[in-house]
Amino acid sequence: MVKKMIGIEGSFAIAEAVKLARVDAVAAYPITPQTHIVERLAEFVANGELDAEYIPVESEHSAMSACLGTSAVGARTFTATASQGLELMHEVLYVASSMRLPIVMTLANRAISAPLSIWTDHCDAMAVRDCGWIQIFAENAQQAFDLVLCAFRIAETPAVFLPVMVHIDGFYISHTIEPVQLLEQEAVDSFIPEYRHPYPLDPDRPVTMGAFGPPPIYTEAKKAQEVALRASKAVILEVWQEFSLLSGRHYSPVEGYEAGDADVLFLIMGSFSETAMVAIDRMRAKGQKVGLVRLRLWRPFPVQELRQTVGKAWVIIVLDRAISFGGRDPSVLKSRRRFIP
Amino acid sequence: MIEIRWHGRGGQGAVTSAELLALAAISEGKFAQAFPSFGPERRGAPVLVFNRVSPNSPIRARVSVAHPDIVIVLDPGLLYITDVTSGLKEDGILVLNTPKSLVEIRSELSGPWRLAVVNATSIAREMIGVPIVNTTMLGALARATRIVELDSLTEPILERFGARARGNVDACRKAYEETETGEPAGIVPKRPKIFEGEELPTWQELLPGCVLTKPGSARQYRTGDWRSERPVWDHQRCIKCGICYLFCPEGCVKQTKEGYFEADLYYCKGCGICARECWTEAIKMVEE
Ligand code: SF4
Ligand code: SF4
Repeated sequence: MVKKMIGIEGSFAIAEAVKLARVDAVAAYPITPQTHIVERLAEFVANGELDAEYIPVESEHSAMSACLGTSAVGARTFTATASQGLELMHEVLYVASSMRLPIVMTLANRAISAPLSIWTDHCDAMAVRDCGWIQIFAENAQQAFDLVLCAFRIAETPAVFLPVMVHIDGFYISHTIEPVQLLEQEAVDSFIPEYRHPYPLDPDRPVTMGAFGPPPIYTEAKKAQEVALRASKAVILEVWQEFSLLSGRHYSPVEGYEAGDADVLFLIMGSFSETAMVAIDRMRAKGQKVGLVRLRLWRPFPVQELRQTVGKAWVIIVLDRAISFGGRDPSVLKSRRRFIP
Repeated sequence: MIEIRWHGRGGQGAVTSAELLALAAISEGKFAQAFPSFGPERRGAPVLVFNRVSPNSPIRARVSVAHPDIVIVLDPGLLYITDVTSGLKEDGILVLNTPKSLVEIRSELSGPWRLAVVNATSIAREMIGVPIVNTTMLGALARATRIVELDSLTEPILERFGARARGNVDACRKAYEETETGEPAGIVPKRPKIFEGEELPTWQELLPGCVLTKPGSARQYRTGDWRSERPVWDHQRCIKCGICYLFCPEGCVKQTKEGYFEADLYYCKGCGICARECWTEAIKMVEE
């Protein structure tokens, strides 16, 4: 089932995952540092390796809009973007989650202009924090591959039916070549069943999607959406559990590193946590009781798991790759335990 | 603080009347508020508008008026499709535009509130030339409730209506003179809920993403209730071209066995588009 380790760029590993998931439709607009993902997918479609509709669009707003359509007819749908591109598709993200369309998107996290920056930070991720998508952070190319595969399975589970965003740090993951173990097609086929939308857009059985919702309906709809997003955690746990049987790699909403007896903990999302592990190893070697908490599941927010992993630490140092202008201590927040949610 | 609820229809100017009332009250040194509560904005659809007026303290409540002291109804037809007295306080007052007399209305509506009636439609037709009664009803309101002085309404009306202001001021004055008021009557009869479509699904009942699997989810909306005029077909002139059928925005024009056309009055909202588009002038709009 598990293939041998190969050297591959993070973006291409994600493209492999999308191909193995047998997506039916990809609609995307290129933007650094995400471009390699969709370029590779376009090649797969062009050379016949992937039997999917590749929709080149004129903007990210159109990309996500096209994804709404393909997902609504019952096609497994993928896209990827970053930074300004994500901002341009912003309003459509809410439509995707509210219409409960299980689109999977990779976000190659990148700073937002100005000044123009193509480099990594999490400001783009934070700008879409509340858009109703399930959001998961990967720390390396292997995780990116694994979590994108799992994302299709999670999104399309009937009890969930929500879009999933897998965050990968631009360049640190998207453009880094490193060892990755892919999976056999049969293994993936058994892991991700066929996507069936219960009420697809179908001329033979017409339905209406995205109708007008006066306040009494809108409020109920938002409640239903919030309940579904919170309840998705149970499914995420199940899917990751099943995936570990398939691949030997286990994922949790919050993962610790040397966290058990630590007095001081770092709290980090994304690829930077691997760099932090290097620092922690060095400090531990000097006898300092430091550890790391890695937030993998960002939405729904895993409050209980975070509390457990934090354990008895005295100090938590949050290394945040986003700035909340005018907010409270946004980038590096030193916080006592009681401030942690 | 006095709370007011206006019942009108899209296009009748209820929003404007509430605004003018607030401006008049504020010009008298009072505190006042006016705000609309729209549904899907369409000409003819029932609309609600709210006022709050307080002689001495700022108004903080930013929420619909559920228990009004005063209810004003601009369109007589609304009495029969919605419960205009819903939540009206016991010592409150209901101000109606109606061609009926106080006695006639009393036989239809009775409750522990005062009544004031005026034939605003006929006043507006006479003084302004169109049956738009919003300024006329302001005069009735001033008379029935003394919430503002009649003179305080003049300035805001003049400012708002420019060339047409004079007729509106006169209509307002005439309504002030002609409004009849009556004392509270007996027990409130339980009015049947005629407004359909109030059973809305809960969050557990909505399909994921609010998908609608059946057509016609708006079928129960009796848009025919919005109508103040109805189309009448003259078969002598009709050449059966079907233009009226094509242009009706409600899709409620049907062809009969003989090939003529007619409106389904459950849905026909009286917009008059069919009559305007019919090029042989076979359709006339007549008052309900
Ligand atoms: S548009 Fe006039 S002439 Fe044509 S079918 Fe209708 S009523 Fe008859
Ligand atoms: S007035 Fe004529 S066009 Fe308007 S809704 Fe009625 S039938 Fe249709």
